[in-house]
Amino acid sequence: MSKIKPEDLDKIGEKIKRTMLLREGSYRAKVTIHMGTCGIAAGARKVMSTLLDLIEKEQVKDVILSASSCAGLCSREPMITVELKGKTPVKYVDLDEEKTMKIFQAHVLDGEVVQEYALAIGSERVG
Amino acid sequence: MIQATDKKVGAVLVVGGGVGGMQASLDLAEGGYKVYLVEKGPSIGGVMAQLDKTFPTNDCAMCTLAPRMVDCGGHMNIEKMTYSEIESIEGSAGNFKVRVRKKARYVDPEKCTGCGDCVESCLVRNIVYIDQPGRAPVQIEEDVRVRVDDILDRYSGGREIIVPILHDLNEEFRWLPPEVLCRVAEVKEIPIEHILRIASFYNAFSLKPKGKNIIRVCTGTACYVKGAPRILDTFARELKVEVGDITDDGQFSLETVNCVGCCGQSPVITVNEDIFGYVNQAMIPDVIGKYT
Amino acid sequence: MKRFRTHLMLCAGTGCVSNGTFAIKEVLERELEKHDLQDEVAVVMTGCNGFCAQGPLMVVQPDGIFYQYLTTENISHLVEEHFLKGRPVKKLMYVPPGEESPIPELHSIPFFKDQRLIAMRNRGMIDPDNIEEYIARDGYKALAKVLTSSTPEAVIQEISDSGLRGRGGAGFPTGRKWDSRRKDPRTPKYVVCNADEGDPGAFMDRSIVEADPHSILEGMAIGAYSIGAFQGYVYLRMEYPLAVKRMTFAIEQAKEYGLLGDDILGTGFNFNIDIFRGAGAFVCGETTALVASIEGKPPEPRQRPPRTTLWEKPVVINNVETWANVPVIMNLGAKWFSEIGTETSKGTKVFSLAGNINNAGLVEVPMGITLREIVYDIGGGIPKGKEFKAVQTGGPSGGVIPASLLDLSVDYEQLDKAGSMMGSGGMIVMDENTCMVDVARYFVEFTNDESCGKCTPCREGSYVLLEILNRLCKGEGKQGDLELLDELGEAIKDAAQCGLGQSLPNPVLSSLKHFRDEYKAHLEEKRCPAGICKALITFTIDDEKCKGCRLCSKKCPQDAITGEAKETHIIDQDKCIKCGVCMDVCKFEAVLVA
Repeated sequence: MSKIKPEDLDKIGEKIKRTMLLREGSYRAKVTIHMGTCGIAAGARKVMSTLLDLIEKEQVKDVILSASSCAGLCSREPMITVELKGKTPVKYVDLDEEKTMKIFQAHVLDGEVVQEYALAIGSERVG
Repeated sequence: MIQATDKKVGAVLVVGGGVGGMQASLDLAEGGYKVYLVEKGPSIGGVMAQLDKTFPTNDCAMCTLAPRMVDCGGHMNIEKMTYSEIESIEGSAGNFKVRVRKKARYVDPEKCTGCGDCVESCLVRNIVYIDQPGRAPVQIEEDVRVRVDDILDRYSGGREIIVPILHDLNEEFRWLPPEVLCRVAEVKEIPIEHILRIASFYNAFSLKPKGKNIIRVCTGTACYVKGAPRILDTFARELKVEVGDITDDGQFSLETVNCVGCCGQSPVITVNEDIFGYVNQAMIPDVIGKYT
Repeated sequence: MKRFRTHLMLCAGTGCVSNGTFAIKEVLERELEKHDLQDEVAVVMTGCNGFCAQGPLMVVQPDGIFYQYLTTENISHLVEEHFLKGRPVKKLMYVPPGEESPIPELHSIPFFKDQRLIAMRNRGMIDPDNIEEYIARDGYKALAKVLTSSTPEAVIQEISDSGLRGRGGAGFPTGRKWDSRRKDPRTPKYVVCNADEGDPGAFMDRSIVEADPHSILEGMAIGAYSIGAFQGYVYLRMEYPLAVKRMTFAIEQAKEYGLLGDDILGTGFNFNIDIFRGAGAFVCGETTALVASIEGKPPEPRQRPPRTTLWEKPVVINNVETWANVPVIMNLGAKWFSEIGTETSKGTKVFSLAGNINNAGLVEVPMGITLREIVYDIGGGIPKGKEFKAVQTGGPSGGVIPASLLDLSVDYEQLDKAGSMMGSGGMIVMDENTCMVDVARYFVEFTNDESCGKCTPCREGSYVLLEILNRLCKGEGKQGDLELLDELGEAIKDAAQCGLGQSLPNPVLSSLKHFRDEYKAHLEEKRCPAGICKALITFTIDDEKCKGCRLCSKKCPQDAITGEAKETHIIDQDKCIKCGVCMDVCKFEAVLVA
């Protein structure tokens, strides 16, 4: 590491900003991959790694990935839930690599819900 | 004086008015004997009067000495003979005949108030001086000397290097052996008295050898209110050792430490580098067992 | 840099490390690898998270889920459930005292919820050994701003306006201290960080050094620029080996990045920092003793005024927490800072909450918060439903504050008025089983041992205080002892030379004031109401509660307990040495002390 100048501070900060945002728990979009035993069997791991690759490739800093358990609709796995901050979460079903990429581009990055893969908008009521 | 008979005289002559002589005189005088206290210097007090602190306890010298000087000075049963020297002693126990030469001091002790003006205005000599005895080279084993010198080579400068040097030495030897400290004094040309003063001041430095394992019971406030004193007692009892000492087999040193900053898990103890939290008395034998 | 979906912020502060953090890290990594998660889930070692009593701890981000009491055994289950299958593990979550359902998220736990972090802004968020993570959280930005676009005078003005006061205990206005050193014509000048945290029961400084060393270095560099110093020292306690390690590494990193050393950030400003390891002398926390120690002289305090100097040159000495506040003030402005806190005490203060309290740990709260909020809302109250008796602040220099003053708001003046002091921030909570006479005796024993011995009021005064208190604890108190304690305490306060001596009678005087009845019980009735003073208590076994399990008789070191299995046991009072093992091991609370 060579000696840095004042403007380099921002560069270094920018470089690992995403890491830090992740820790602060602040994000614009959250993608939950349902990784129950059924989900994993149906290929949820592949979806997860696709998403990780996409985030890396697009240099996205404000999207977080989270894993959760079986959503209860095992026959339509793999499933993900996309939640933009302040918006209603959307569940997508029967995913594969290609569909995941499309959802990521359209919904996560551009904010357009991909109606053709969506199961439902909103979550079950809890309690 | 009474000629050679069996009868013993109820008077004692004490030679030397240092702190030892004064204490002896006081004890005897209190016991009812008439005491002659002979001192070759112009005042009682001796070497201790020139010291700030005394080894090994670092007690204030004047605090020890002053009450004794005052008591000797005013005691009815003690006759002080300062600026005097013994010329001859004859006789046997209980019946001595002593010849004392009282030197002329050219000052009337009855009138002198001890103001010191005469010293100030004396043309001949008014500089305080202490005789410096010469020092013999330090006796130290060759391999130990090499280890010490290695550490000493890392530092240069004035007295500010002492604490870092002592830290390194204490880590190297686990304590500070006397010959090691003497070697520091010799190489770095710092008076040994100063080094000892620093070494004895800080808790981190040990002037005693340590056991193979060092158990430290934290006696910080949080640990204290949660039972540290009882933990300490139990260690002392289990190891049969006093706090601050080593066990007979040299396996353990038992010490206290003022807070290791682990108050969330009080009471806390450390053994060497390991920290144990939430200690209770019942688990102590197990802890000891781990290190034997 | 590699992308991970989840970061596991594993606490590597001294508290958690003592309970096996490093072993847990190894198992965690092995388990993650087993499930092929090593590229998705990262393990990050952070500094002290603050909630030390629940350690070892881990926070899962971005979800913010807080796990406690981790062991190498429960990791495998955790990894499979949470990180593979996405089901957070309830039984490793925090359950508030007296309740049943756990609170999963860190930010919902009362201990964290009510805190406001300034000095500890980065705790648990960054890896202290990675300078880039500090930079990403606006680190060294304040230094860059100051060096490129601010004059030293403006920096001092900003600090003065913020109302920041010394966090080491005395509360001297920081801006005024810097200003006077700036105006001193002698050179070279020095800045020193006082991290010789000697107060027993206080660990704020350790935590900040371990969690965020760069915030201290940045603060010191800003201070150095404002007074015109080129050399700084961090006086670090040797009892904190982990803190020494982290600080050493942080200084190396900062030098490598050109944030310390010559020509910092290319602005031509030179500043260097060295570590000076303390050697375990409490008095070295006193500034004049601290400089004497750095100079290699016997660390005895000197008379002030004249002002403290290092090698007869001007020096600014501030506490760890004070330095850590500086970058934030320069970033967010004096106005922002001065809006937090009370009229006279601005900003926040870190306290180490320990003793008989449910949620022991480090808390940073705005000045002006009440003690009740700290003890009950954040601290979660007293364990085992026992009664609150007092809280001790300020270590051996402070005093005890009784239950009647729990609504006192915490700032420099209010605590002084109550006979205690802010001190460096130790806050020890005491329950009904704490003997106030014994606590006062403990503190005096401590200061007596740590007194450097230079001035008589402190050296001899503390000795006589200790003698009287020892006498009281043994039930050998004499008529007039309490009055003598009062009188002697006041005399020491007036006559001692340095802060250590002047404040050493505080624990005695304040406990005498608030708990005189307890002293009287020791003196007149030869009784220790809290059941602590050995000479005044006896252990007995309650025959209604005793189940005759024989556990106590097996553990008794003196074989003083007899009794057949399933029958009530009896303690032979002649053999009993009052060690209390029986009480510790009894599962039925059948051992009584009175």
